[in-house]
Amino acid sequence: MHSSLILMTLIPLLAPITITLINPHKNSLYPHYVKLAIIYALTISILSTTIFIFTGQESMISNWHWMTIQTIKLSMSFKLDFFSMMFTPVALFVTWSIVEFSMWYMSSDPNINQFLKYLLIFLITMLILITANNLFQLFIGWEGMGIMSFLLISWWHGRTDANTAALQAILYNRIGDIGFILAMAWFFLYSNSWDFQQMFILDSTSNSFPLMSLLLAATGKSAQFGLHPWLPSAMEGPTPVSALLHSSTMVVAGVFLIIRFHPLIENNLLTQTLILSLGAITTLFTAICAITQNDLKKIVAFSTSSQLGLMMVTIGINQPHLAFLHICTHAFFKAMLFLSAGSIIHSLNNEQDIRKMGGLFKTLPFTASSLVIGSLALMGTPFLTGFYSKDLIIETANTSYTNAWALTTTLVATSLTAMYSIRIISHTMTGHPRFSTLISINENNPQLMNPINRLALGSIFAGFLISSCIPPTSQPQVTMPHYLKLMALSVTILGLFLAMELSLMTNNMKLSTPVKTFYFSNMLGFYSITTHRINPHSSLATSQNFTSTLLDLFWFEKTMPKLTMQTQISISTTASTQKGLIKLYFLSFFIPPTLALILTI
Amino acid sequence: MAFSAPAAYLTHQQKVLWFYKRALSHLESWDKYRYYAWLMRARFEEHKNEKDMTKAIQLLREAEEDFWYRQHPQPYIFSDSPGGTSYERYECYKVSENCLDTWHPSQKAMYPDYFAKREKGKKLRGETLPPARKEGDLPPLWWHIVIRPQERQCRETERPHLSCLQVKYITEHTLALIKKISE
Repeated sequence: MHSSLILMTLIPLLAPITITLINPHKNSLYPHYVKLAIIYALTISILSTTIFIFTGQESMISNWHWMTIQTIKLSMSFKLDFFSMMFTPVALFVTWSIVEFSMWYMSSDPNINQFLKYLLIFLITMLILITANNLFQLFIGWEGMGIMSFLLISWWHGRTDANTAALQAILYNRIGDIGFILAMAWFFLYSNSWDFQQMFILDSTSNSFPLMSLLLAATGKSAQFGLHPWLPSAMEGPTPVSALLHSSTMVVAGVFLIIRFHPLIENNLLTQTLILSLGAITTLFTAICAITQNDLKKIVAFSTSSQLGLMMVTIGINQPHLAFLHICTHAFFKAMLFLSAGSIIHSLNNEQDIRKMGGLFKTLPFTASSLVIGSLALMGTPFLTGFYSKDLIIETANTSYTNAWALTTTLVATSLTAMYSIRIISHTMTGHPRFSTLISINENNPQLMNPINRLALGSIFAGFLISSCIPPTSQPQVTMPHYLKLMALSVTILGLFLAMELSLMTNNMKLSTPVKTFYFSNMLGFYSITTHRINPHSSLATSQNFTSTLLDLFWFEKTMPKLTMQTQISISTTASTQKGLIKLYFLSFFIPPTLALILTI
Repeated sequence: MAFSAPAAYLTHQQKVLWFYKRALSHLESWDKYRYYAWLMRARFEEHKNEKDMTKAIQLLREAEEDFWYRQHPQPYIFSDSPGGTSYERYECYKVSENCLDTWHPSQKAMYPDYFAKREKGKKLRGETLPPARKEGDLPPLWWHIVIRPQERQCRETERPHLSCLQVKYITEHTLALIKKISE
């Protein structure tokens, strides 16, 4: 029964889009239609998820046969397993909150209906991705999300930076899509199918090539190290876009893809090690970048990237269900962090720099509270949402047979998480206000407070609720030493105290030139600056050498005109008898008649 | 009061003052305020009474180099300034002023003063068309104006030369008058 209910979830979501096709005129009630449609879909999905939890029955629906190409059959099929059934209500809940927040944040935008329509289309593509039972359908959702990401990042398309950021997102995601298509081609050739069941049954040797390709796809979509610059640039879009796409739903699609293929990955140690290493590098690098940023949204974006790296680390230690739990819990508190940031930014007249914030505890008490709750959940404070996933991940990593380097990196990144969270709170909430005094700040709007309220409740209780619904997949670690059990909490507290101590020190320190590591962190490791210049520079240098050396030097000097000239000169000097000796010629002209005269006499 | 045009060069005083303002506002990028602004002022005050221009220029140059070396990699930019987070954000919503011409007369009647002034401005700029020659006719459209015969400039003593259109108009008018009289 839950299978038909979950299909019914998609129908209310299509209604608002159909309305715009039938009646394209502007409708002031359209935002409410969208919100209602999402609420209905959420209610239906919660019903079906509850039934699924109690029955524990996974199902697969295949209802429309599209075509058959030789021996491969393409059909529309939905996989309703634990992952899709648990994530659907989470995605709908977060989207409901963000749509309601958008009605406040984008209220002055004349095209708010179009904005909400784009968000809805994005949600539909996300649901297509997570319920897909074959790679082709998953790819449709994958690409759909990429397109909506492009349209939403460049929402304010009059701004050059927004267009650049949207193109950057498309290009980096496209590099990842190469991996996806390679994997599809490999599975087409060797498994003769794109259905997950068939691929998992047939692939007993666990070939590394398709898994590496899928890893490339996940690197692009989930902003792992190497293909990560698009995520902080994507903060050019409106805050609701950042909250929905670039924190909770779209960026986890890459991790979700890897989780879907965990039956193949768990037999391939090379892929697991690569995922672990990539995740560890990503989580540390992005956490280092986050601690010196001054843009509020960029700090939260790097925090997202760091948590995505942590999810990859979790998959690398062969715990896909833990990674999925972290996806679900992370969606709540990260979306709330973004909405709180949006509330602050909108209240301060689009001021995003934390150097010009301060003293907002008293002026925005509700936002401040939610920001603190979200930060505490992010840090893994005991018994909040983040604790149930993050602490478990670190405990499992500590007690698993994994390399110490990845573990140390993850722990350092965990303490850096606490540092940048404290930095956000201290700069935005505490101290004297550094913003203009002419701004009137008011957060007393239900469309602002209700979404943040809901997400705050989710950030406190969702972890407990979801973790109690996960079926046991493996034998949990029963005993461990005290220091391993308390490792996550202790590194978080260490990071917290370090951050507070350093901030107190810098207030009293002399203004001096910062160390080189500050510049490394502030300039994001100089990654974008170097990689975005290397390619054009190498092609321009090659073309310059091409024209100057190949064309000018070779064709114009070494071969055709100059060579011809040199050949002509050498030939003419060799073959010519004329030496220019006029006196000798005249003399030689006179010598024969003189000789003849002498001889005849 | 006459204002003199700005000179092609900056005086030393102007350079120092501009530099001081830049350095002071750059302190905010480093999250430093009152105390460090006072320290910065003290550094400038130390060499305030320097009379030797060579030394003064050397000091300014060293100060500029020091500023360059210590500048913040992400200086604070106001959100609406070029390079800020909301610069050009609302360009896509801006519409040309000509859209007011498409308003219905009942909408225009709600703002009579504004539209009256607007029409006056358009007439002064020469954007409106001249009136039609006859009632019920269309006003001269743009090609009539573009391809109109050029009017030659003449001296006051000379009789003005009539253009072909003018002759045609006079002829038609005369013929209509004659016809009316005969009737």
